[in-house]
Amino acid sequence: MPQIITEQNLRNLIDLLVKEAKLVVGPKLSGSVVLYEPLTAGSDLTLDALPRRSSKELFFPICEDILSYKRENGSMKVTDVDRSQFPEAVLIGAPPCDAGSPAILDAVMSWDYKDEFYLERRRKSTIVGIACTKGDDACFCRAVGLAPDAEAGSDLFLTPLKDGSYACKAVTEKGEALVAAHRNLFAEGAGGDPVPFVDQGVGKLDLVKIKKWLEEHFEDPLWEKIADICVGCGACAFICPACHCFDINDEGSTDDGVRRKHWDACGFAKFTNHASGHNPRDVQNKRYRNRIMHKFKYYDGKFGKTLCTGCGRCIRACPVGIDIAEILETINSKQD
Amino acid sequence: MCKSENIYLPNLATIEAIVDETPDVRTLRLVFQDEQVRENFSFRAGQFAEYSSFGFGESTFCIASAPTRKGYIECCFRSVGRVTESLRRLEVGDTVGVRGPYGNSFPIEDFYGKSLVFIAGGIALPPLRTVIWNCLDLRDKFKDITIVYGARSEADLVYKHELKEWQERDDVRLVKCVDPGGAGPDFDGKVGFVPTVLEEAAPSAENTIALVCGPPIMIKFTLPVLERLGFTDDNIYTTLENRMKCGVGKCGRCNVGNVYVCKDGPVFTARQVKAMSQEF
Ligand SMILES: Cc1cc2nc3c(=O)[nH]c(=O)nc-3n(C[C@H](O)[C@H](O)[C@H](O)COP(=O)(O)OP(=O)(O)OC[C@H]3O[C@@H](n4cnc5c(N)ncnc54)[C@H](O)[C@@H]3O)c2cc1C
Ligand code: SF4
Ligand code: SF4
Ligand code: FES
Repeated sequence: MPQIITEQNLRNLIDLLVKEAKLVVGPKLSGSVVLYEPLTAGSDLTLDALPRRSSKELFFPICEDILSYKRENGSMKVTDVDRSQFPEAVLIGAPPCDAGSPAILDAVMSWDYKDEFYLERRRKSTIVGIACTKGDDACFCRAVGLAPDAEAGSDLFLTPLKDGSYACKAVTEKGEALVAAHRNLFAEGAGGDPVPFVDQGVGKLDLVKIKKWLEEHFEDPLWEKIADICVGCGACAFICPACHCFDINDEGSTDDGVRRKHWDACGFAKFTNHASGHNPRDVQNKRYRNRIMHKFKYYDGKFGKTLCTGCGRCIRACPVGIDIAEILETINSKQD
Repeated sequence: MCKSENIYLPNLATIEAIVDETPDVRTLRLVFQDEQVRENFSFRAGQFAEYSSFGFGESTFCIASAPTRKGYIECCFRSVGRVTESLRRLEVGDTVGVRGPYGNSFPIEDFYGKSLVFIAGGIALPPLRTVIWNCLDLRDKFKDITIVYGARSEADLVYKHELKEWQERDDVRLVKCVDPGGAGPDFDGKVGFVPTVLEEAAPSAENTIALVCGPPIMIKFTLPVLERLGFTDDNIYTTLENRMKCGVGKCGRCNVGNVYVCKDGPVFTARQVKAMSQEF
């Protein structure tokens, strides 16, 4: 049975979840930018703009402790992180390009060895996605198999309606449970007309064709042409909902400290540098090529998924104007 | 406390012995502190581990001792940076962390009944030393065993005491060499680069497996020599030592195409390496 929730009840839902001691994260005006931040009340939620950074940090924090160590009476003791303390979380108001990313990252985090830091947060979270009506000409989610109204990755999916309320669809059991627990905030019915989507700047892309081209053009003048100007700042990776490279380092003394996992990026010059000085990706265009290859060929080859949700953030953030969608269009239009 | 396993949690091990191989290469003999880990830890030749120096972080080294020798493991590393230099400051009795074993291994059972040629350059002997001892401990299972090992200079040869032992055994042929200019007056090996010395030594390729480890440049010049000697790409094994961090296919650092060297490697045949045709 379709459900409706009014905007006020959506905010009331957030208030209730906060009262239930859940970690509620959603788009919030933070200074002059909208970011995904913990909401302390329903009135914090803003759905006016796509948050500057993606929501992946709810599952995969920029930096997190993975163990602590301490020397006691001369002997070293290592203590695990108590993951049972990770909060029950609700991500609310994430458009498909963000709501969809954990569903993509699950593959790498759970093949063979399981990254329980990520997976425990995934288990304990519910994602309330929302159809996107705020797209701009950097968006290209349709081109990578999502859409402004794609439910993939959401547990509960909201569609903004012209009258200001939202049509709700429980996509998973977690979504059903969220509705069931707050039944009085939802009304039955299909609701009125949805708010129309904004047209996307990028046309249809043939990802199979792009993958094939990448397979056959590891060496190609295109890489120097487009990627020599990359400055390797890593902004594109840090802002991306799908990038997941990390480093592990200790902080503290030799007697007492923590080991932490923190974001890294394949665009950084030393990312693959061997201690011998040999660097397989010794120039910037090779590093940028790896970024494209990983997203549109390698990840797909290994896990059957495209490592990009078409959110367009890297396009908006790149200081030298490298445009991943334009590159994909260029490849897509190639004849050989 | 946590039911689910933390894949980043190391086991603790005590440094039981230290051997200085060269001025900047050191071997640590490590014994796990937990009795159960000590008894249950097993690995296969070619696998690696993440070793931690608390306060500095983790570094990737192969397990250099042989799986046939129980009760301890050894790693052998060159001091080149932050973690390795801090490991070097540790003393006998100090604690390090060990995660692993990770990665694939040399398929030693497949080599039974064949001859083996080991070719190593510089600090790359450790990944082969584990196989060498593994095979020497099962000596009857193999035909001829040849080891070609070279370093820049006499001082840079690692495991000098073991080279002597191999030299003295009559069931091993050791060809030891140093680059031109690297030999002292009493050097009893050959002078020349590994590929050249290998070509002169001319081991038979008949029913033989070649195992090559060394810097990329050495491997590049060694493969054509092996080809001339009659080795096929399926009978040549090597290890790729891409920079690693997690060791378990998560951190995205070690890939060559969609191959995760930490999971799918580090051991590959020359045929597999050539098929990658990508940067490494
Ligand atoms: C599967 C595998 C097996 C391996 N097996 C072995 C082995 O058996 N033995 C072995 O010795 N190595 C081995 N290695 C290589 C080993 O992992 C590296 O040598 C080691 O991780 C270096 O760690 P580090 O923290 O000391 O270096 P880092 O500090 O990370 O240094 C890396 C690079 O940065 C440079 N650098 C560091 N500090 C500075 C600074 N302050 N200023 C400027 N430059 C700096 C270094 O010179 C080096 O080029 C293996 C690698 C792999 C992947
Ligand atoms: S690669 Fe760019 S467009 Fe694709 S998900 Fe990452 S930030 Fe968004
Ligand atoms: S944001 Fe632009 S300049 Fe920075 S690493 Fe990414 S592509 Fe390169
Ligand atoms: S070392 Fe992290 S993915 Fe291979």
